[in-house]
Amino acid sequence: MTLILILILVALIAYAILIYNRLISQIETIRNNQKQIDIQLDRRFKVFESLINVVKKYMDYEKTTLKDVVALRNQAQEAKAAGNEKERIEAENKISGIASNLNVVFEQYPDLKANQNCLQLQEEIVSTENKLAYAKQSYNDSIETYNANKKSFPPSLVVSTFRSKLDFDFPYWQLSEQKIAEQESYTVKL
Amino acid sequence: MQNKPFGELVTTTTDWRKTLRQNHSRTFIIIALFFLIYCAIGLIVDLYLYAGSYPDASLSDLFIALLSFQLFPIATLIMLAIASISLFICYILYDKLMLLGTNYHEITPQSAQNLTEKQLYNVVEEMKIAAGLRYMPKVFIIDADYMNAFASGYSEKSAMVAITRGLMTKLNRDELQAVMAHELSHIRHLDIKLTLTASLLANLTIIVLDILFYNAIFSGRRRTNNRQSLTAIIILLRYMLPIISVLLLLYLSRTRELMADAGSVQLMRTNEPLASALLKIHDDYNQHQDEYRAALTATAHEQIRREAYLYDPTMAGISSLSSINDLFSTHPSLETRLAALGFKIDRKI
Repeated sequence: MTLILILILVALIAYAILIYNRLISQIETIRNNQKQIDIQLDRRFKVFESLINVVKKYMDYEKTTLKDVVALRNQAQEAKAAGNEKERIEAENKISGIASNLNVVFEQYPDLKANQNCLQLQEEIVSTENKLAYAKQSYNDSIETYNANKKSFPPSLVVSTFRSKLDFDFPYWQLSEQKIAEQESYTVKL
Repeated sequence: MQNKPFGELVTTTTDWRKTLRQNHSRTFIIIALFFLIYCAIGLIVDLYLYAGSYPDASLSDLFIALLSFQLFPIATLIMLAIASISLFICYILYDKLMLLGTNYHEITPQSAQNLTEKQLYNVVEEMKIAAGLRYMPKVFIIDADYMNAFASGYSEKSAMVAITRGLMTKLNRDELQAVMAHELSHIRHLDIKLTLTASLLANLTIIVLDILFYNAIFSGRRRTNNRQSLTAIIILLRYMLPIISVLLLLYLSRTRELMADAGSVQLMRTNEPLASALLKIHDDYNQHQDEYRAALTATAHEQIRREAYLYDPTMAGISSLSSINDLFSTHPSLETRLAALGFKIDRKI
C-alpha cells in the first residue's frame, strides 16, 4: 500500500516538473519570437536600403535610354505619317542601335534586364514584408499556446505555486485603436 | 476519378485548430495500438516458450506470472531491444534514402539561378519564420515535370523539403507558399519519424509472428494442450494482423496528411491557396497521365517517397507500382481534403 502511495506521489511530482519545464520553454519561445520581430524590422531596413542603392544606379541608365527610345519611336512615326521614308529608317536604325547596345550591357549583367530587375525588386519587397508579418504571427501564436497552457486546469496549479517564474502577461502584437480605424478606411488612390 | 473535371470551389468554413486537435488524438491512439500489438506479440512468444517448459500450468497463470515478472518476459524484452536498434539505424540512414533515383540539386540564396528559385527559397524561409522553426530546412529541386513535393527529416535540424520543377513553375507564389507550408507542417509535426516508427513496428511484428508461425506448425517438439491452443491463436493472428497493420498505417498516414493541410492553413491564415494548388495538381495529373506515368516508372525507388508526397499520383489513376498497396491510398481523397480545408466542390456546372 505504501509502495503504491509513493509511486503515485512520484508520478505527480514528475508530472509537475514536466509542466514546469514546458511552461518555461514556452515563455522563452515567446521572448525569442518577440526578438524575431526586431530582427525582421532590422532586416527590412537593410534590405530596402541596399535595394534602393542598386536600383538607383541602374534605373538611371535605363530611364535615359527609355526616353531616347520613345523619342526615336515618335520621330519614326511622324516621319512615316509625313511619308519621309529616309528619316523614318534613320530613326528605326537608331533604335536598333540602342537595342543592341542595351543587349551588350545586359549580356554583361544578365541579371539586370529591366523587367527582371523590377520583378526581383518586387519579390524582395514582398518577401521582406511577409517575413515581418509572419514573425508577428508567430509571436502571437506562441503567446496563444502559452496562455492556453497556463490557464488550463492542472497546469494552473503549478503556475500558482511558482508565480514569479511562470506567470507572465505577454501582450499580443496589435495595432492601436486609432491605427486600426485609419487602416480600415484606407483605400488605394491611383 | 479519372479525367473527371472538378467543378467550382464553394467556400464553407474551416477550423484548423479542431482538425489539428482531432487528428492529434487519433495519432496517439494509433501509435499506442502499434506499441501494444508489438508487446502483445512479444508476450505470446514468451507464453509459447514457457508453455513448453511448464506444461502443467494453465495459460492464464503463465500470463499473470509474465506480467508480474515472476517469469522473466525475455522474448518481449529482446524484441523491444531489436525494435529500438533498428529504429536508431533507420533514423541515421533515412535522410539519404529519400532522394534516391531522382535528379536533384540544392537551392541556397547564393545558388538560386533565377527568380523562381529565389522565390521558392524566400517562400520556404517565410514559412519557417511563421512556424517558428529554429533551423532553415534544406531546399531541393527535383528535375521532373510532374507536380509534387515532399518533406523529410527526423528533426528540425536535419529537415529538408523537395519540390519538382514542374510544381515550382506551374504554381503562383501563394500556392507555392501553401504547398511549402504543408511540407513544413510535416516537419513540425515530426510526421516522418512517426510514420516510419509505426511501419517499422508493424513490419517487425509480422516478422516475429512469421517465425513463431513456422515454429509452431513445424516444430517436432512435444505438443502440450497449452501449445495447441496458442498455435490456433498464432495462425489466426498471422493472417489477420498484416491486414490490420496496413489499415492502421494507412489511417495514420491520412490523418497526418489532413493535419499537414490544417497546419498549412494555420501558417498562412488562409485556406484558398492550398485548395487551388491541390486542384491544379490534380488537373495537371489528369491531363498528362501518360507522360507522368512513364516518368514515374522510369524513376527508381518511387515507392520510398510515396507516403511523403504532397499528392499521391495513384489518385489520378497513375500507379507505377504493381503492389497490392495501391488499392488503398495513403492520402485522403481530394474531396475529403478540400472539405477539411473548408471547400465544397460544386458539380452543377
